[in-house]
Amino acid sequence: MAALLEVKQVSRSFSGLRVLNNVSFAVEAGGIIGLIGPNGAGKSTLFNIVSGFLAPDAGLVLYQGHDVSRLSVPARSRSGLVRTFQTPQVFANLTVRENIMAGSYKQTASGLTAGLLGTPRARADIARMRAAADAACERFGLTRVVDQLAGKLPGGQQRLVELARAWVSEPALLCLDEPSSGLNSKEVARLMQTLQRLNREGLTILLVSHDMDLVTIASSIHVLCFGEIIASGALTQIQADARVREAYLGL
Amino acid sequence: MKQFESEVPSSLPASRLRSVRYRMWGVVAVLFALWAVAPGFASRSVIDMLVFSGLYTIAGLGVAFLLGQCGIVSLAQSVFYGIGAYSTAYCTTHYGWPAPAGFAIGVAISAAIALAVGWPVLRLSGYFLALATLALAIIGQVLFTEWDWLTGGTLGIGGIPHLNLFGFVLNSPQRFYYLVWPVAALLLLLHRNLLRSRTGFAMRAMRDAPAAAAVLGVDNHLLKVKVFVLSAVLGALAGSLFAHYVSFVSVDSFGVDRAINFLLLAVLGGAKTVLGTVLGALFITIMPRLLSRFGDIHAVLFAGCLIAAVIFLPEGFGGALGRMAQRLRARQART
Amino acid sequence: MSGTLLLQSALAGLTNGFVYALVGLGIAVIFRGTRIINAMQGEFALVGGMAAYLVLDRLSFPLAFAALGGIAAGGMLGWLTDLLLVRPTRRRGGTEESFLLLTLGIAFAISAGVLFIFGRDSRLLPGIGGETSQIFFDAAIRTHALWLIAISSLVMLLLWLFYHRTHIGLSMMAASIDEDGAASIGIDVPRMRTLTFLLGGLVGGLAGVLVSPLITIHYEMGLLLTLKGFAAAILGGLSNPFGAVVGGVTLGLVESLAVLSVSSGYKDVIAMTILILIMIVLPNGMLGKRARKGG
Repeated sequence: MAALLEVKQVSRSFSGLRVLNNVSFAVEAGGIIGLIGPNGAGKSTLFNIVSGFLAPDAGLVLYQGHDVSRLSVPARSRSGLVRTFQTPQVFANLTVRENIMAGSYKQTASGLTAGLLGTPRARADIARMRAAADAACERFGLTRVVDQLAGKLPGGQQRLVELARAWVSEPALLCLDEPSSGLNSKEVARLMQTLQRLNREGLTILLVSHDMDLVTIASSIHVLCFGEIIASGALTQIQADARVREAYLGL
Repeated sequence: MKQFESEVPSSLPASRLRSVRYRMWGVVAVLFALWAVAPGFASRSVIDMLVFSGLYTIAGLGVAFLLGQCGIVSLAQSVFYGIGAYSTAYCTTHYGWPAPAGFAIGVAISAAIALAVGWPVLRLSGYFLALATLALAIIGQVLFTEWDWLTGGTLGIGGIPHLNLFGFVLNSPQRFYYLVWPVAALLLLLHRNLLRSRTGFAMRAMRDAPAAAAVLGVDNHLLKVKVFVLSAVLGALAGSLFAHYVSFVSVDSFGVDRAINFLLLAVLGGAKTVLGTVLGALFITIMPRLLSRFGDIHAVLFAGCLIAAVIFLPEGFGGALGRMAQRLRARQART
Repeated sequence: MSGTLLLQSALAGLTNGFVYALVGLGIAVIFRGTRIINAMQGEFALVGGMAAYLVLDRLSFPLAFAALGGIAAGGMLGWLTDLLLVRPTRRRGGTEESFLLLTLGIAFAISAGVLFIFGRDSRLLPGIGGETSQIFFDAAIRTHALWLIAISSLVMLLLWLFYHRTHIGLSMMAASIDEDGAASIGIDVPRMRTLTFLLGGLVGGLAGVLVSPLITIHYEMGLLLTLKGFAAAILGGLSNPFGAVVGGVTLGLVESLAVLSVSSGYKDVIAMTILILIMIVLPNGMLGKRARKGG
C-alpha cells in the first residue's frame, strides 16, 4: 500500500545547530502513527516541516506521492493535510459555531465580490458551512457551548473546537501536535476514544505526544531523539528497546 | 442597527425576540427619519459638515475594515483618496470627460497601485507594515506636490464640475447630502454582507490566528491584498466624490494628516463595528468645527483622543456602544 | 559630474547619515529594551531641538546649557511617556498594535502641539563653530557637521560601554532578554523599561540638538526623522543597535547621491522607497543575524 505521507532524509538546522538529521519515516493510509521523543528531540520542527511552516534544508516530504516540500501551508491543506497546534489555536473572537464554520473554508468557493454582493451562491455557502458546523458540534459534544466565544472556553474544550474544526475541513491526514497537553485524564480518555472513532471512519492520524497513555492508540510509533529516529514499531517493541529506555531514562 | 441582529441571544422566547426586533426597527426608522429631514432644519454649515462625515465614512470604512478585520494599521488611505480626487478632477477639467469616467479611472488607478504596492508590502506584518504604509503616505504627498503637471501641485485643480444625476445638478450641500449618505449606506451594507460571508470568516480567522487560518486553506497574503485593494477603491470613491463636492482640490487635502484622520476615525469609532465607522466620521468632522475658535488645536486633541482610545477604549465608541446595547438587552431579557 | 559636487554630496550624506544613525540608535535601544517600536523617536529630536532653542532664546543661556537643556527635555519626555502612557497600556494588555498606535498617537500629538504653540515657522539653532566651514578638496562641510559626527560616534561608544560594562546597562539588557529571569534575580523590570525610554529620549534629544543647526526646527521634522531613523536601524539590523551607524550612513549617502540625479524635491520619496525596500528585502539588515519580520 502506498504511503500517504513519506518523510525522506529530511534535515534541518537552525543557526548552525542541527535539529533534524536525515529523518525518514512513512505514514500508511488508515493508520494512527505516533511520534514521540524527549524534549528538544526535534518533534516540533519535524511537524512544522511536514505541515509546511518550515522548509527542510535537505530531503523530501512526499504526500500522496507528490513532493510537497516547498508547497505552502494553504496548498497542503487543500490536499487534505491538516494539522493542529500545541496551544489550541482557536479564533478567540469567534463563537464556537463560527470557528467550526471557518473550517469549511475549502469546501466552499464564493469569493470576495460574491461576499460583498450577498449573491445566492454566497448565501448558500454560508448555509452549508453552518450545517456542517452544527453537525460537527453534535458529534464532538459542543452543542451546549456553540454560541460562546471560543476564546473564553477552558483549554480542553478549545482543543475539541480545534479538532471539530479540523474534522470539518475533510482532512485525509490529520497531524496532531501534543493534543493532550493541558487536558486532565478524563479528557484524555475521551480524546483517545474520539480519535479512534475518527480513525475507524477512515482518517489517517499522525500524532506527536509526550503522553504515553495517548500514544497507546497508535498502531506504529517512531521515536525521535536528538534529531534522529532511533526506533520504530509497535508500542511494546518500543518500550522494550534499549536505546529508547536510555534516551528517556538518561534525562 | 442591523448588525446587532446576530447578537440577539437565541435563547429568548419567540415573542420576546419579536418585540426586541420591532424595537430595533423602530430605532432605525426614527434615525432614518431624522436623517431624511435634517437638511430642512439645519444650517448650511451643519449640512456641509454632515456631507464630509459621509465622505469620511466611505474612506474610513476602508481603513476600519483593514484594521478591524485584518489587524492591519494602514496610513496609506490619503494616497488613494488623493488619486480618486485628482483623477476625476483632471479628466473632467482637462479632457472634459463625464464624471463617471473620472470616477472609474480613479478607482482603476487606485486599485492597480494598491495591487502593485500591496503585493510585496503586505508580506510584512505588524509595525513594519504600518510604517511602510506611512512611508507610502509620505511618498504620495510628495508626488502629489512634485507632479504639478498632473495635480497642479500646491495650486491645485479648480473648476471641477458639479455632479449631474439625471439632470439634477448637485450644486449645494443639501443636494450632495442626499447622494453621499445613500452611497455610504450602500457600502456599509455591502461590507456587512462581506463580514457574514465565507471571505469574512476567512478574514476574521486570519486576524485571530493566522497560522490556524492557513491550515484551513486560507491564503493569508492574497486575502490581505484583496482587502487592501478594496480599501483603496473605497478611498478613491470618497476622493472622487470629494472633488466634485468642493470643486477645487489641492495637495493640502491629501497629506499625512489626512491619513491620520482616517486612522483616528477607525480607531475611535471602533474598527470592528460598521456603525463605529459612522460615529468616528462624525467625530472627526464635528470636533474641528466645535473647536475652531481655538485655532489648530483640534489636531492635538485628535492625537490625544487616539492615545486615550488606545489606552481606555480599545474597541472605540462603536464597540463600547455595542457592549452597552448587549448588556441592556440582556437585562431586558431577564426582566 | 564634477568631483567636488560628488564629494560635497557625500559629505552632506555622511552628516545626515549620522543623524539618522542617532535616531535609529534610539529606536533600536528602545526596541531592544522594551520590544516596542517607538514611532515617536523623531519627536524626541523635535522636542530636544525646541527646548534648546527656547533656553537659548528666552533664557539667554549659553549654547552648552541650551544643548544640555535640549537633551534633558528629550530624556524627560521619554521618561514621562513610559510612566504615563506606556505602562497603563501594558497593564491593560497592550498588543503590538496598541503600542504602535500609542506611539504614533503621541508622535502626532507632539507634532500638532508644537504647531499649535509655536506655529509653522522654522527656528534655527546656532551650531558649534557658528557658520564656519572646513574645506576638504574644494568641498565644504560645516564645522558643526564635523562636531556632529564626532559627538555621535562618541555617544555610540559610550552607549556600548554602558550596555556592556556598567551594572545598570547589563541589568537593562537582561530585563529585555528574559523578563522573568531578570526579575527573579532582583532586577526591577518596569524600572529598567522606564530607564530604557529615558535613555532613548536622551539620545533622541541629542539628535535634535545636533541636527537643528543644519536643518532648522519645525513641527513636521519628527515624522520623517523617525522613518529615516527606522530605516537606518533596520538596515543595520534591529538586533544590533550599533548597526544603526552603518545603516544611517548608508542611507544618508544613498539619499544625497541619488538627489544629484533627480530633483531635490524627491529626496524624501527616495528615502521612503529605500525604507520600504529594506523592510521587504533585508528585514534583518546587512549586519543583523536573527530575522525578525516586525510582526
